[in-house]
Amino acid sequence: MHIAEGFLPATHCVAWYLASAPFVIHGGRRVIQQSKEQPEARLLLAAAGAFTFVLSSIKLPSISGSSSHPTGTGLGAVLFRPPVMAFLSTIVLLFQALLLAHGGITTLGANVFSMGIVGPFVGYGSWRLARRFGWSDRVGIFLALALADFTTYLMTSFQLALAFPDPVSGLAGAMTKFLGVFAFTQVPLAIAEGILGVLVFRVLLDIAGPELQRLGVVPALPEAVA
Amino acid sequence: MARGLALDHAAWTSPWRTRSVRDKGLLSLGLMGAAITLPPVPGGVGVAAVAMVLLLGPIGVGWARLGRLSWLPGVSILMGAAAVAVSIRWENGVQFLVTADGLTTAGGLAIRASAATLAMFTLACSTPMVDLFAALRRARVPDALIEIASLIYRFTTGLLVTAGAIHEAQAVRLGFATRSATMRSASLGTSALLVRSWDQARRLEAGLIGRGYEDTLRTVEPTRRRSTRFLLASLVTVAVLVAGSAAWPVSR
Repeated sequence: MHIAEGFLPATHCVAWYLASAPFVIHGGRRVIQQSKEQPEARLLLAAAGAFTFVLSSIKLPSISGSSSHPTGTGLGAVLFRPPVMAFLSTIVLLFQALLLAHGGITTLGANVFSMGIVGPFVGYGSWRLARRFGWSDRVGIFLALALADFTTYLMTSFQLALAFPDPVSGLAGAMTKFLGVFAFTQVPLAIAEGILGVLVFRVLLDIAGPELQRLGVVPALPEAVA
Repeated sequence: MARGLALDHAAWTSPWRTRSVRDKGLLSLGLMGAAITLPPVPGGVGVAAVAMVLLLGPIGVGWARLGRLSWLPGVSILMGAAAVAVSIRWENGVQFLVTADGLTTAGGLAIRASAATLAMFTLACSTPMVDLFAALRRARVPDALIEIASLIYRFTTGLLVTAGAIHEAQAVRLGFATRSATMRSASLGTSALLVRSWDQARRLEAGLIGRGYEDTLRTVEPTRRRSTRFLLASLVTVAVLVAGSAAWPVSR
């Protein structure tokens, strides 16, 4: 769910660009640092960015009969941490705008804030919290992906409500309206993305365990004693 | 499933591909800026008209392709504008009503967003991503970041083909016949894509290291045509749109 090109007034576009800039710059610095320390990491990061972009081509069933696509930022945040995802999401959103006409250049700041900052930070926070409480990886992954998706949708609705308060019921009415319009697809989608994440994580543990250990997502197994 | 990158295809074949990114960027950003700052009528309508003339004329997009490119943003704009047009009131439960204010805002919004989308198309349909990366590099954006962005672009094209092949294979095995089968196919497809993207990255890394790759993957950049006349014409076009909008209330 992205805000379309030209949808926000100029002042809002500038404000969201300014709000997103520190996170994206910080993420960019982390990426540069990682590239210097581990040159091979840039290829893995690029693969993660491309994966996030292509993930938007995988359709999930929705309760309203239509279908929608996952954002992939929750999984990316768990694997690569939120600051890196803020930078990668900016590139992915720029590609979506210029290659798929999904989102826009003027609304890039707002879309980065919701999908690249709020979603990944909330998703990663949920994952960490679940681990701290000793919940299973499955619960943690479900919460990370579902909440990253859900908060992206909440933030986008807030951004739209702020730009277009209802002439009758003000900001609260506009927020209710935008939440209601997109709830039919976004709420089931958040749950579906959470379930998808659990299934993907299970497959990844089987076939990409060493990579997950190297990324620090799962603890490294103690070496076998001869 | 995404069916290729239609905007990118248009950009690679555009007669304006040989023009400098600076010239096209200034024109497109100028039009986008005008679309979101000027009143929808006449400013937004003017921007939309100029962008349509450019897209169907010198940029060479064509009606059919423009229609295919426009439907997705068109649906988003219509849904958003419809939500703005309807007001909500809490009196003996929730009531929905359409006010004159709401309709005016929604109409203006639809015009403004359509104009900005068409303005964005003037850049997207004439400038392939690789040209944009080269321009960003010249603008002194750090090499490491440009490198990641261009690698994402390279991986994306390959992964889209892989995603298409996986989807097709799953579809012929009735992988999308039921809701649960769809979820299972989506999860297996997603996992396969992630693992393949890592594998592709690893193989590319091994290949590049073998060729002495250390920091940046520079490629030959063909010379792009810079034109002062083009730049001046762009500035005049945007200035005319601004002046037209300023004069509009007076002339009425």
